[in-house]
Amino acid sequence: MDATITNQLQIVYGDGSLGVQGENFHYLFSYEKGGLESLNVNGKEWLYRVPKLTFWRATTDNDRGSHFSTKSAAWFGADMFTEATSVTVNVDGKELGLPIAPENNRFSANEHADSVSLTYTFLTATTPETTVKVIYTVVANGQLNIQVDYTGKAGLPELPTLGLRFVMPTVADGYSYAGLSGETYPDRMTGGQIGTYEVSGLPLTPYIVPQEMGMHMQTSSLTVSRSTSLNNADTSTEVGLLTFKQLNEPFAFSALPYTAIEIENATHIEELPVSRRTVVTIYGEVRGVGGIDSWGTDVQPPYHISAETDHTFDFTIQPTK
Amino acid sequence: MTAKLEWLDDPTVFRVGKLPAHSDHTVYRSAAEITQGESSLISSLDGTWRFHFAKTPAERLLNFEDVNFNTENFDDIQVPGHIELQNFGQIQYINTLYPWEGKIYRRPPYALGPDKTYPGIFSEASDNTVGQYVKTFTLPENFSGHDVHIQFDGVEEAMYIWLNGQFIGYSEDSFSRAEFDLTPYLVAGENKLAVEVFKYSTAAFIEDQDMFRFSGIFRSVNLIAIPQVNVVDVHLKPVVAADLHSGDLSIGLTLAGDLTDTTAQITVNNPRGETVLDRTVTAEQHIQLSEAFDDVALWSHRQPDLYELMITIFDSDKQIVAVVPYNFGFRRLVKDDDNRVTINGVLLHLNGVNRHEWSPVGGRNVTLDEMETDIEIFKENNINAVRTSHYPNQIPWYGMCDEAGIYMMAETNLESHGSWQKMGAVEPSYNIPGSIPEWLDVVLDRAKSNFEQFKNHPSILFWSLGNESYTGDNTVAMDQYFKSVDDSRLTHYEGIFQNRVDEDRMSDVESRMYASPADIKDYLSNNPKKPYLNCEYMHSMGNSVGGFDEYVQLYDEFDTYLGGFIWDYIDQALYVTDEVTGKQVLRYGGDFDERHSDYEFSGDGIVFANRQPKPAIQEVSYYYGRYDN
Repeated sequence: MDATITNQLQIVYGDGSLGVQGENFHYLFSYEKGGLESLNVNGKEWLYRVPKLTFWRATTDNDRGSHFSTKSAAWFGADMFTEATSVTVNVDGKELGLPIAPENNRFSANEHADSVSLTYTFLTATTPETTVKVIYTVVANGQLNIQVDYTGKAGLPELPTLGLRFVMPTVADGYSYAGLSGETYPDRMTGGQIGTYEVSGLPLTPYIVPQEMGMHMQTSSLTVSRSTSLNNADTSTEVGLLTFKQLNEPFAFSALPYTAIEIENATHIEELPVSRRTVVTIYGEVRGVGGIDSWGTDVQPPYHISAETDHTFDFTIQPTK
Repeated sequence: MTAKLEWLDDPTVFRVGKLPAHSDHTVYRSAAEITQGESSLISSLDGTWRFHFAKTPAERLLNFEDVNFNTENFDDIQVPGHIELQNFGQIQYINTLYPWEGKIYRRPPYALGPDKTYPGIFSEASDNTVGQYVKTFTLPENFSGHDVHIQFDGVEEAMYIWLNGQFIGYSEDSFSRAEFDLTPYLVAGENKLAVEVFKYSTAAFIEDQDMFRFSGIFRSVNLIAIPQVNVVDVHLKPVVAADLHSGDLSIGLTLAGDLTDTTAQITVNNPRGETVLDRTVTAEQHIQLSEAFDDVALWSHRQPDLYELMITIFDSDKQIVAVVPYNFGFRRLVKDDDNRVTINGVLLHLNGVNRHEWSPVGGRNVTLDEMETDIEIFKENNINAVRTSHYPNQIPWYGMCDEAGIYMMAETNLESHGSWQKMGAVEPSYNIPGSIPEWLDVVLDRAKSNFEQFKNHPSILFWSLGNESYTGDNTVAMDQYFKSVDDSRLTHYEGIFQNRVDEDRMSDVESRMYASPADIKDYLSNNPKKPYLNCEYMHSMGNSVGGFDEYVQLYDEFDTYLGGFIWDYIDQALYVTDEVTGKQVLRYGGDFDERHSDYEFSGDGIVFANRQPKPAIQEVSYYYGRYDN
């Protein structure tokens, strides 16, 4: 690497992926897997698999009572099986399409750029289907901005949620965030107090039937700390940090050891598997939990998520040294 | 008299040999005992009892009450405690349907006609488990020379008791204290108490609350030494004048025993510890006093100031024979012509919760520690009101609420849900108590037990006739009863909403459950007949309690909106050792192979079963704090 160009991003034009590197980070965007395959910061890997669009939330008792999950069951499948259908690469404002061989034969081992952007287009596993774009943009110093654009489609049932989830290889030590106290939802967050909160581990809320849990609305910053890894050659016990930050609007998140679909099928907490991963989901849209009753009344109207209108949200990940 | 098994089948038999209900005061031998917190007139029978479990009445041991009956092969059981939680009977949770749903066809006697009596419906049933309890005891020395009563604070659902082989009595009403006189059959030395508890009787039709279905002696049992002059009942009526300043206290005492040359000294200390009344009167069977005060300290949620009454009975030698302390409060509860309800002149805001008595270990056998934790959680989260859903609670809870300033809706032990609502639809073809004459006395008795025990508690603002029992002349009669004995409180019943036919004959309030904010607004905007409250709202099942703002905002809009009680305070779930991991886990309905069950519907609390607050409590705390009045 040319040591004089430290602020610029080093680009590796691979045949199955695009590498983007800097002093303390190395990102790998897969052309096959539909997204960011590696998020390596200070030598620690933060991704177990590529981030996935998240449409499902584990059915709450109120969702079950109001038959919401039945009506919106299409999103359960979409959460599991939605795939990226295309990816395009843009470097310093120039559209490169998919720069694999022979297209990338023109590049060298010493390629640099000020900004790199990849747009992944997904078609939802729903009928009708709709398009969701996930746009990753890396700028100076490795700041990784992520934008999710959902295109509304008439005829689709209401969305249980809309987010992007990051499954990390091992269980986090904990996380801290700047936002509201406690577990909050759009229709249950007035009592939340703004502050900075430290959470040890990845606690579950012990609802007797595991269900949607652990949401934190109105968050401006989230830092996950993790001291373990799956790297057999890594004997370091140093705590690694990964920070998610607000770009335009505050975001919502949950940090749990399970995905919604893992939680969905458990009737008791003890049926959930031993915790192995960290599942951080950043949400752009969160459905309310409701409360009028648990046998039919829906969440109040302002707290629904229409699938027939467009939604967009963004946030950034910073590879803190 | 001999015990008759067919009483189990007859709704007109619910108390035999049982003493009349009276106030929940404790009698001490001296003021020193009050300071020590223990009356030597009480001897607890709690502990290990001998026990035989029978799956059916036919399989029970006959004559087990006989003094010579050998109980060597009996098991041990802990009293208080549910039979099922000690693994003799199967644990079951079910909500509205009767617990025998789909297994045994039953209709309540008399519900479908005066000749429909169904002999053997419970006494010969295949699902009516029986707990046969034996306890031997020797009276404490200081009981000698005294009459002795026995008090059962809670036995579910029907019991027969014998002392030394002699039949003492029969009792239904699982949640009210049952008291009997043992004196005639006591012997020197060892006495044998035998108690036979049936899981079902006709009481099962009116104890169909949304809860785990247990049986057994689940609250304390005490022997009571009756002093030679006993204070049987205390009836206090503290009245605050409209000026919220002056007040009147009426004190009614019922005494029993040899009253010759006996005097009663009655003192009252105000909350500052100053004696404001000190009067000595000749003891009579009924003593009635009243005293006017210029300046009374008011009891309220924010400042629960209590007065201390002390009754001291002196015999002819001026020796103290009995002392009764009782804390009470002055507050003025008014429902005005505009349907506004005020307490001490301030609009009443019920920022409340429904509370089942629940422990993840003991079931409905809750400990004092658990009750104290509940009060702390209430105070920390601005919860100012509780509905004793759906039955009278353990006696100490009422005093705790007085001290903590918790407004209470005191509910009578009545719920006949399965008789009139099926799969969510109103279908009252065999509803009881309805207007069926044979079901009148039993529900009136329950109302009377509720009133007589708890009438002196300032925390109680509402007498609730019961829960989800539809409507008819019998619930109307309960309302009339409460009205006839108490003009200082309001009555409550939600059945008026299910069928408007009796709307004008009972309940001082329009009460609904799970009404939407829009429906409430609609009611209160259209010349409402009554003030409105939610006896149940904001169903806190699992991850819930969204949209609270829309309810509390009704306080801003309507003076006639009283708020209500969240459903509910605590999840009903039980600690069980996980059969796979060996760890302690919380289990809920259906987890005991019991069918039919309503499964996770048992968990609707704002705290988990182990009293860990659910995340939603911060929302409750916020809004209840903001609308604290």
